[in-house]
Amino acid sequence: MIKVIDLHKYFGELEVLKGVNVEIKQGEVVCVIGPSGSGKSTFLRCMNLLEIPTKGEVIIDGVSLSENMKQLDKLRRNVGMVFQQFNLFPHMTVLDNITLAPVKVLKMNKEEAASRAMKLLERVGLTDKAKEYPSRLSGGQKQRVAIARAMAMNPRVMLFDEPTSALDPEMVGEVLEVIKSLANDGMTMVIVTHEMGFAREVSNRVFFMDEGIIYEEGTPSEIFNNPKRPRTREFLSKVL
Amino acid sequence: MGFLTEFIYDLYRVLSDKIYLSFIKEDRYMYLVNGWVVSIEITAFAAIIGIVIGVLLAIAKIMKKPPLTQIADWYVSVIRGTPVVVQLTIIYYVILANSNLPKIIVASIAFGINSGAYVAEIIRSGIQAVDRGQTEAGRSLGLSYGQTMRFIILPQAIKNILPALGNEFIALLKETSISGYIALEDLTTGGNLIRSVTYESMTPLLTVAYIYFLMTLILSSILARFERRLRTSD
Repeated sequence: MIKVIDLHKYFGELEVLKGVNVEIKQGEVVCVIGPSGSGKSTFLRCMNLLEIPTKGEVIIDGVSLSENMKQLDKLRRNVGMVFQQFNLFPHMTVLDNITLAPVKVLKMNKEEAASRAMKLLERVGLTDKAKEYPSRLSGGQKQRVAIARAMAMNPRVMLFDEPTSALDPEMVGEVLEVIKSLANDGMTMVIVTHEMGFAREVSNRVFFMDEGIIYEEGTPSEIFNNPKRPRTREFLSKVL
Repeated sequence: MGFLTEFIYDLYRVLSDKIYLSFIKEDRYMYLVNGWVVSIEITAFAAIIGIVIGVLLAIAKIMKKPPLTQIADWYVSVIRGTPVVVQLTIIYYVILANSNLPKIIVASIAFGINSGAYVAEIIRSGIQAVDRGQTEAGRSLGLSYGQTMRFIILPQAIKNILPALGNEFIALLKETSISGYIALEDLTTGGNLIRSVTYESMTPLLTVAYIYFLMTLILSSILARFERRLRTSD
């Protein structure tokens, strides 16, 4: 469903991604781990072209993103993204945050969008916050709204860029619970995370990235219990 | 006690004489009234022209399309790098010398061109002060660049822009006081005309200053009200 072929990305002189090749199947949950600066976030952001790859291809459902730059907005609808810093729209209520894109992009009528938004809020346990502005929410609540907002577009894939890194420790759990419930419903997901316990529990496959490549990949038990290569071992010994 | 009442009486007599001489006699107050109307008109027209030019320049700067951005950059640095009184006189005596346009229009154009450069910078910095993550969130939801600007970035940018824009218009109002350089009878010139017929400086000058001060006071209180209304989501 997602195919990444020989992905390279330069920031000026700095080569951040040095040839990433990946194939992700429908319904798979992939966690990406690795030291900071290894290119995890850049890799994720290339998958919905928030970063334009210097070289290589990203193919989603058989459509190459880089060959269809003109239809980028259309292709991006199928790829939901959740950010480390939530990026809720501060001038809109929670409900308007969620309904904006369905109304403006999918041309859904407002009542329908609102009733779907309420269902999504129910899923993330925040129906009582629909009329609040984001500034009145806690970090964990903001991130749950951000997940609902991305889900409102009915994406085929969800990308999570360190969704719990900006949260106070006591709020990490509530966000991970929501992500887990999406995984159980068969949503295809790619999650960049530092939560190793979560990665082990929720994912079908784990990518360990280091220095711009996927250095090692495998099932959670292969990576966490039995890492084969030295830098994976070294990294895991530091974080576990 | 007698000394004090005498002093107050003298002061009153001197002041009322001066006020009579400066404003009442031969209906001289009309210099100020007519001048005031002219100042308001120039400021209003120039503000409109300034906003139009400023928005266009800001868009040109943000788009990062080489020729447009370059032109906008030049415009802003030339305007900001030369005194407004020089710009005004160049436009009146050189560029529009043969145009037969009314002076008030020429002045509005000149001040509008000047203000546009400052407005452009205010708008550009207001837009760029909105966190990049907001654009990314909008685009990742499938909104186009234009939609992201319209529904997400601009509503937030206006909160950054409005106070600075208000200051710019207050500055603009005061800058129009150099309109006398092209022999346009604005409020300041009105005061000067009274001075030149009466040889009395204090009353017309202080009155002119007071009128400007009152106008800027009113402008800033209107703006403060606007800002408060925009703050509902914080």
